[in-house]
Amino acid sequence: MSTHEHDRSPHDRGPRDRGPRDLSPHSRAATFTCVRCGLTLNEAAPDGARRDHCPSCLHSRHLTDHVDGGPSDCGGRMVPISVAVPRGGDWRVIHRCVRCDELTSTPIRGDDNQLVLMRLAVRPLAQPPFPLEAFGDL
Amino acid sequence: MPRRSVRGGRRPQRAKPVREHRGEGVRGGAFRCVGCRLDVPFDAPGTAHRNHCPHCLASLHVDLRVPGDRAADCRGRMAPLSMSARPDGEWLVIHHCLACGDLSANRIAGDDNALALLRLAVRPLSDPTVPVRALMSL
Ligand SMILES: [Zn+2]
Ligand SMILES: [Zn+2]
Ligand SMILES: [Zn+2]
Ligand SMILES: [Zn+2]
Repeated sequence: MSTHEHDRSPHDRGPRDRGPRDLSPHSRAATFTCVRCGLTLNEAAPDGARRDHCPSCLHSRHLTDHVDGGPSDCGGRMVPISVAVPRGGDWRVIHRCVRCDELTSTPIRGDDNQLVLMRLAVRPLAQPPFPLEAFGDL
Repeated sequence: MPRRSVRGGRRPQRAKPVREHRGEGVRGGAFRCVGCRLDVPFDAPGTAHRNHCPHCLASLHVDLRVPGDRAADCRGRMAPLSMSARPDGEWLVIHHCLACGDLSANRIAGDDNALALLRLAVRPLSDPTVPVRALMSL
């Protein structure tokens, strides 16, 4: 799909040219602007890992191609659509790009907003496709 | 079990090409599930094509960029990873390819196993590390 609008500005390029593991002293000080809420964010999370989504609203930008792992030219806004719980692993946020529909899975970071995460995690249960009463105390 | 219609009043599904019957495990209007070996008819209530097993929710990796394009030649097993809800409330199963790591989002069908769907939807809440304080404040 290529019909979606995307709000790109020259000041909002994000960490396009750096690889995910490049945490040199220079890149640790780098910042990017959240495409959704406009917050200025340090690229490095408190634990030193590279941040790919906004800790406040969990939105992201499509900067990596999922097929070859290299940079993507899309740059579209990525909306958090689900929380995945791998067995024995940390929670992951599933993002969908509003411009090209690509899906990604990235780990949550220590300073991600817990309330926003939980709201996302329970969202399907707010509108179940069948009556939950039928299941008793699942 | 009483089940509300999932399809009534929802937006129409986008047009999809007719599914090719090809390869092993695909024969005359049914396929054998890669997860539980159930013989599953292609026809599913309320959907143009079925993309996962109604019993165990497993799928086969046959889409590349666009759901329904059937372009991927991976044919790996796709396991249900998490549940997502669209803004209109419809549930989407997020599938994860165990062979190549790709993700896809697939609408649930009217005859999907409700307990399997619900187990997937509540998985974040059954995680012992779930932030209870954030949960209480919802
Ligand atoms: Zn934000
Ligand atoms: Zn994109
Ligand atoms: Zn199955
Ligand atoms: Zn695959």
